[in-house]
Parts: sequence; C-alpha cells; structure tokens
Amino acid sequence: MFKLLLKKNVSPHFSKLREVPLFADLTHRELGIIQELLHEREYVKDEIVFDEGEEGQAIYFLFSGKVLICRQGRPVDGAIAELPNGQFFGELALLDNSPRSAQVRAAEDCTIGVLFREDFLTLLETHATVASKISLQLSRHIGKRLREAIHRYVL
Amino acid sequence: MEKDDSSPGPITWCVIIATTCVLLFLLQKILWLVVPFFLALVLYYLLDPFAKKMVLSGHTHNFAAATLSGIFLLATINVLLFLYPMVLSHIDSWQDTMSRYMTGGYSLIDSILTGLEQQFNFARNAHMADSMRSNVTALQDNFAQHYLGTLILGIAAWLPSLLLIPMVAYFLLKESNHFRQFLGLAVPNAFFEKTLYLSHAIDRAARLYFVGLIKLAAIDTFMLILGFWLLDFPAPIFLGIVVGILGQVPYVGPLIGCILALLVSGTDFPGDVSTAYNVVILFLVIRLLDDFLLIPSVVGKSLNLHPLLSILMLFVGGTIAGIAGLMLVLPILGIVMLLGETLEIILTDKRLMARHAYAVQLRELAAKRDLILPN
Repeated sequence: MFKLLLKKNVSPHFSKLREVPLFADLTHRELGIIQELLHEREYVKDEIVFDEGEEGQAIYFLFSGKVLICRQGRPVDGAIAELPNGQFFGELALLDNSPRSAQVRAAEDCTIGVLFREDFLTLLETHATVASKISLQLSRHIGKRLREAIHRYVL
Repeated sequence: MEKDDSSPGPITWCVIIATTCVLLFLLQKILWLVVPFFLALVLYYLLDPFAKKMVLSGHTHNFAAATLSGIFLLATINVLLFLYPMVLSHIDSWQDTMSRYMTGGYSLIDSILTGLEQQFNFARNAHMADSMRSNVTALQDNFAQHYLGTLILGIAAWLPSLLLIPMVAYFLLKESNHFRQFLGLAVPNAFFEKTLYLSHAIDRAARLYFVGLIKLAAIDTFMLILGFWLLDFPAPIFLGIVVGILGQVPYVGPLIGCILALLVSGTDFPGDVSTAYNVVILFLVIRLLDDFLLIPSVVGKSLNLHPLLSILMLFVGGTIAGIAGLMLVLPILGIVMLLGETLEIILTDKRLMARHAYAVQLRELAAKRDLILPN
C-alpha cells in the first residue's frame, strides 16, 4: 500500500540526475529525495552563473548544455575547464565556506539544477545512507581533481 | 548560515516599519483567516521535523503531511469528544464555581480597597470601594444581556475558521518545497542565490520564533504550576496551563492570568491578603524572567531585533490591530526586516544588477537568433 503512495518522478530531468557522478550510487527513492530539493534554472549562452570571489550558497548540476569555468573577465584565454552535461560544479565553496574560486559562464544554452547549501548540508546530516554515498563520490571527485592538478603542474 | 555584514540603512528601516504597519492594518481586516494561519504555522513548525524524517525514510511529502495532520485532527476530535460530555455534566457546578470565584475576587478587591481607604485620605475621598462596588454590580446585572450573547456569537463565528488550522498545516507540510521552488522561478538568475538565502533565512527565523514561543509557553506554564503548588492553590496544574496559555498574548495575557489567579486566591484564601501579594510577586518574577532572560535567549535571537524596537513595535501593533496586532507584530516585523535587508543588498549590488541587465540582453539576442535566415 505504501508503494502506491510513493511519488512518481515526472521531471524530464530526473533521469539526468542519475548521470551526475555525485549521485551515481543513489537508489531511485534517494534520487527522488534529491529532486524534491533541486531548483531548475535555464541559462542562455554566455550568461554568468556565478562570479569569482562571490559567496557560495549552492552546488550546481548540469542537466543539459555546457559551462565554462574561467578566470574572472577572461572567458576565452582564462578558461580552466569546460564541463559537459551530467557534471557538477560549485562544490568547493559549498564545502569549505570559501568564496567562489572561479567564474562560471554558460558555454551554450543550458539547464542547471541548483541545490542550496542548507538543503545539501541538512540532507548530509539527516540521511546517513545518502550522506555516505555522496561523501564517497565527492571524495573520489576531489581526489581525481587533485591527481589531475598534480599531473598538470608537477609532472 | 552566512549573513551579509551590512545592516539596513535608515531609509530601509523606515520602509520596513511602514510596511509592517500597513501589513498589520490590512491583516486585521481578515483576522478570521490570519489567526488560523498563524496557528497553522505554529503547528507546521512543530510537525515539520517529523514530516522531514518520514520523507527521508522514503515516504512522499503528501503521505507525511496527510498522516501527521490526520493524527493531529483525530487527536483534537478525540479530546473534544472526551471533553464535551464532561462539560455538559459539569456545566452547572462550573457556573456555581465561576460565580463563587467572582464573588471571592470581588471580596478580595473590596477588602484591599477598604484597607486603603482606612489608611489613606485620598482613597477615602475618591470613594474607591463604593465606586468599585457599583461597577461590579452593574457588570453582574448587565453581563448576560450585553456581553454573553456577543461572546457566544464570537466563539461560534470563530470555530469554523479554526477548523482551517489542520488543513492549512497539511498544505504547508505538503507543498513547502514546491512553494519555494515556485517562488524561485519568479527570480532572475543573477539574484537567485541571494533569494535562496532569503527564503531560508525567513524560514529559519520563523521556525526559531514559533518553536521559541512554544518553549517559552512550556517554561512559563511549568513555573506557574510550581508557583501555584507552592502557594497551595487548588488544581495547580489546570490553573497553570490555563494561565500559561493566556500569558502568550503579549501584555494583556499575563494581566488576565494574574487576575484569574487573584480570583482563586480571594476565594480559596478569604481574608488572606498575603496570598494575593504572593500571586502578584509570582507573576512579577515570571514577567522579569521572561523579559530579561527567556525572551531574549529563546525568542529574541530568532528575530534579532533590538529590545527597544520590539517594545515600541508591540505598542504600535496593539494600537493598529489590538490583541491580534500584539501577537502578529513581531513575526511580521522579523519577516519584513529580512526581506528589506536582502532587497537592499540586491538592489545596491551593482555587479548583480549589471549581470541581470546583461542576461536580459542575452535573452533578447537568443530570442532573435533565428529570425534572420542566412543567405
């Protein structure tokens, strides 16, 4: 009977949530919880998502389109990376409460899911299973970034 | 939660206070809706932690909201069904008890005023006891004729709107996330993060305020029960609960509670004026503890209001909308203050405004993108 009462996930971007590495291990039901907290935003090409130095209040999930991570005011020659859909960004400012370390611009029209800091942290505090799965994926993601940085600058 | 260091400027403060007054003035016109909504908000913040636990354990918002509001509604109906026959069977004795306590209170005031008249000339010249006796006699003669009908009609008119409480609480529990998402859709991308912060700040302040009110009521009730028990009052728990709930209406509530306790003291301890003084001391001590310790630490922190401003706004609220104004003015001021602060931050942030203007241009260009066909 309870299964009948479970919400049907009708958002066109629900399947995109599974493609986000951070949520790779989550079950259908756990993804439903995440979806309840997400805000969907539409950005047009070249629109700024957030500025370098800005206070970080949210983590972003790219459902469609691409974004450019760049130095403030230098989108072309200052590009640090281009993220395709399914990726996420803005997690560093969210974790250590520091200002945004780079500017993010829409490289093409895109749809982005936004998860607010308080919702994200409450989720981690109140749901042990989801917290452990997301934390593991987040650690892997940061580890991968670190290896890439070492490979780029040290080796 | 992080908060911007900037506090509202003088113009923003004027707008905040004016907006609060206008809102209070408008809301008093629809009190039948505002009061149930206010109580539903209290219920929502009480039930919300349980709803969140249910959602996180796999149930939908719909199911959690329906279950919790349903349990509350059933519990209320059960209590009413339990109380109804009890009220019917005891109504005659309660009427006698009420008139006994009224007479007791009247005797107490009479003995205090007579004592004052014996001591002081100005009291004797003012004929305070005689004046009080004639007023009380007039009130007793005219109460049923002038006030009882209005009172019963008032209760009958309010009861249906109070039934809205569990229904409003249900929708708040079910739709709070969707409502926030819906509000977010109306906000341009450039201001979105700041607005998210605003909606959470309002939610957090309201939660702290309403939960703080409930904690305050519980602490006050406990202190009153303890005080009545120490003073050897009859039914200290019942009296403590009634006076504790009344006490949550700012200024007027504690006064009515104190009068009730004095009526009991005058009836059950006839001729013992020291018990009446002890009741007054008990209420003064609780008032002082509330004003200087409990309200600043339990409720005040949630709204982050200066105590002087709180007191001034309570007077303004009382003047504009009476008792309802006293109850509503602080939460409304808190919410308007957060809105004002954030709007000031957004509207004075040149970078955000420039980003928004740029995004509008980009959207216009995007809309025109395929209007001109390539040759």
